[in-house]
Amino acid sequence: MQHRVPAPARGSAQQPPGEAADERADGPAAGARRRSVPDLMRPQILFTWLPLATATALWVYSLPGIDFRHMDDWGLIDRLPAAFYLSLAVLTGGFVVSLRRAGTAPWWPGLYSVALLFALKAPTSILYDSVRYPWASKHDAVVNHLLANQELRPGVPLSGNMAAYDQWPGFFTLNAGLVRAFGVDTAASYLNWAPLFYGVVLIPVLVLIYRTFAEDWRLVWTGVWIFEVANWVGQDYFSPQGMALILDLAVLAVVFRHFVRPGAAGELRSRANLDPAAASVPPPTTGRQRAVCVAILAPLIAAINFTHQLTPVMLCVALFALNLTRRYRNPGLLAVTAVIMLIWDVTMGRPLFVETLSSLKESVGNLLNNSRAGYAGELTGPGPVLQGRADIVMVLVVAVLAAIAVVLRRKLVKSALPLLLVSVAPVPLFAVNDYGGEMLFRVYLFGLPGAAFFAAAALVPAAAGQGGGRIRPVVRRRVAAVALPVVLALLVAGFIPAYYGKERMYYTPPAETAMVTRLLDSAPKGSMILAVTGSFPQALHRYDQLEHWYVAEQEEPQNAIMLRDPVGYLEPQLPRDGRPVYFVLTRTQDVYTAGEGLLPAGGFAELRSKLEASPRFRVLERTPYGEILQYVPPSPT
Amino acid sequence: MTLRQNQIRAILALSGWAALAATALPAATPARWIPVLLYVSLGPGLALLYPQPPALRPGARLEALALAAPLSLSFGALVSTCLFLVHGFSATAFLVALAAFSTVACAFPGLPLPAATRGAVERTKRVRREEG
Repeated sequence: MQHRVPAPARGSAQQPPGEAADERADGPAAGARRRSVPDLMRPQILFTWLPLATATALWVYSLPGIDFRHMDDWGLIDRLPAAFYLSLAVLTGGFVVSLRRAGTAPWWPGLYSVALLFALKAPTSILYDSVRYPWASKHDAVVNHLLANQELRPGVPLSGNMAAYDQWPGFFTLNAGLVRAFGVDTAASYLNWAPLFYGVVLIPVLVLIYRTFAEDWRLVWTGVWIFEVANWVGQDYFSPQGMALILDLAVLAVVFRHFVRPGAAGELRSRANLDPAAASVPPPTTGRQRAVCVAILAPLIAAINFTHQLTPVMLCVALFALNLTRRYRNPGLLAVTAVIMLIWDVTMGRPLFVETLSSLKESVGNLLNNSRAGYAGELTGPGPVLQGRADIVMVLVVAVLAAIAVVLRRKLVKSALPLLLVSVAPVPLFAVNDYGGEMLFRVYLFGLPGAAFFAAAALVPAAAGQGGGRIRPVVRRRVAAVALPVVLALLVAGFIPAYYGKERMYYTPPAETAMVTRLLDSAPKGSMILAVTGSFPQALHRYDQLEHWYVAEQEEPQNAIMLRDPVGYLEPQLPRDGRPVYFVLTRTQDVYTAGEGLLPAGGFAELRSKLEASPRFRVLERTPYGEILQYVPPSPT
Repeated sequence: MTLRQNQIRAILALSGWAALAATALPAATPARWIPVLLYVSLGPGLALLYPQPPALRPGARLEALALAAPLSLSFGALVSTCLFLVHGFSATAFLVALAAFSTVACAFPGLPLPAATRGAVERTKRVRREEG
């Protein structure tokens, strides 16, 4: 413990000879300036800024050493230099130290949280010379399609259900505006920066929500930190769902803060009934004020509906859950949200809406199928297997921590119950639909803001000497003093395999992109493009003029049958009207089908050699990154 | 209305037009895309939210900061989609519509988010009592 001894006001025998003279000469302003320099060196302040500076230096130093072009089975995990890992460790340590002063200087943990976002997700944005995530290039293709057509065609059926993007176009039309206003050729020139943009925009919204339920800045920033490291799910790429999530949370933030019914907070109005870290319940509002607020929210709700199919459903489910509480019983808001959603669904979104409704009969109640990820073969290879396990461990750690808080901090749970309800509300959607194998990730994503908050509550103890429970406050504080840095460090460590373990599938070499683009640009209108999977760069370039068939994106047993005799399996389903048919085989498809277990080990090479050997396919182009075959139909006899 | 508030409102009112002017610069240069990105991400939202009434309760500033981007992106998506629907899309139409909207929004007080003022219901009652 350090004690500061007040310095004498005027010259003292203990003062260094030059110092007093300087002060007299420079006047009080200079004196203040000089005082601020030693302040930076005070241990309490030094250990707040020094780790950030050190971590930044280490991170910048490590960047050129990230050898992403030569990734193998471990993805990016073993290509990140030691300095990168060290920078994350220093950053975590600095964040924990900065939390000690969070009450008076909340911007420091805030800065660390932004730094963490950049440290974790910026390397690929800065370094990659091509699109990260092959499926991000699909969204780039949608923007190009809109710009080429200059209109929306929600009713025109397109191969691979791509018409859905004309039916929920908000994100793509916005980016069409940005592409033209920036003067760039396509969104590909900036789309790798989407995770950082979304992250920076999302942090204040998260803080706003957390501050509505917690007064303790330590809890708020720890929640943000946990959200960032637990957000390995990769939905914050250049996608409509990334933007829709931000809008959804913004609506919920406004609801939490401005839709409290008068007299509904009951005993929570008394500070004595609140957890020491909890915030007071927001002031109640009149019916008229809430009606005005609904009008204010309407554009946000409309934009969510313009942008994404699933998020409005998630929002309705969340608002329904809030209606179960006395505090937030606002059926009017729920009705307006549902009406806006239905209007969009039966007008612009009608084709997919009707199709989804008719398929609900089969999917409702099929919990096992709805909660699985994608076509879900067995993950294969050390990187993908480790990523799969790390994902599960990360989910479990956050869930267990949140459960601990729910059990131990009942007062906090009582006041923050709306946040808990909103997080749990999407879970029943497993019972409804599999959302193309993505429901698992989406439910996790929408539940994460609340889960991260409660997980933080398990780690950040209540203020000194306060809080109930059987465990003594001193013991609780000591446990937390160890648990907080350890768990945060483990979560940061877990993020790397959970996010970068499959990176070899996500990085698409420019030469491969160029090969695919060449073919798709030159393919006559109406051609059919075959590929093993759609997970390769530019897969859907010119998707409104070409037909696609990703032959291995089906149930696994079918793939085994296909591998036995690929040509015999495919040929009966190929067009017989003379349209050209091309088969694109690329390195990224090979990595993806092997890693995700769509094909057995060596299956891709087997398929490739059988196609090459068949007289029904001739090789048009062969590069180190893949090859292009053209189907040769049998001559009529 | 203080001078500083009016200055900020004027800046917000002009920001969209400045972004539009930036599109005259060479394609893809930072001097072009940075103002456009900043305006589309923050401009319309800030124009709607600023200025808030006096006697703010703690957190109102944070609220304006947090909601500025979601509101701006919402209006960006709504405007661009509507332009596509009426077959009138172009970068100029997109930015002119947003800039005009921001300029009009700046002429009005910030969005009346009720709990942004201290005490909401209680405050309304107190104001009425004072008026009576």
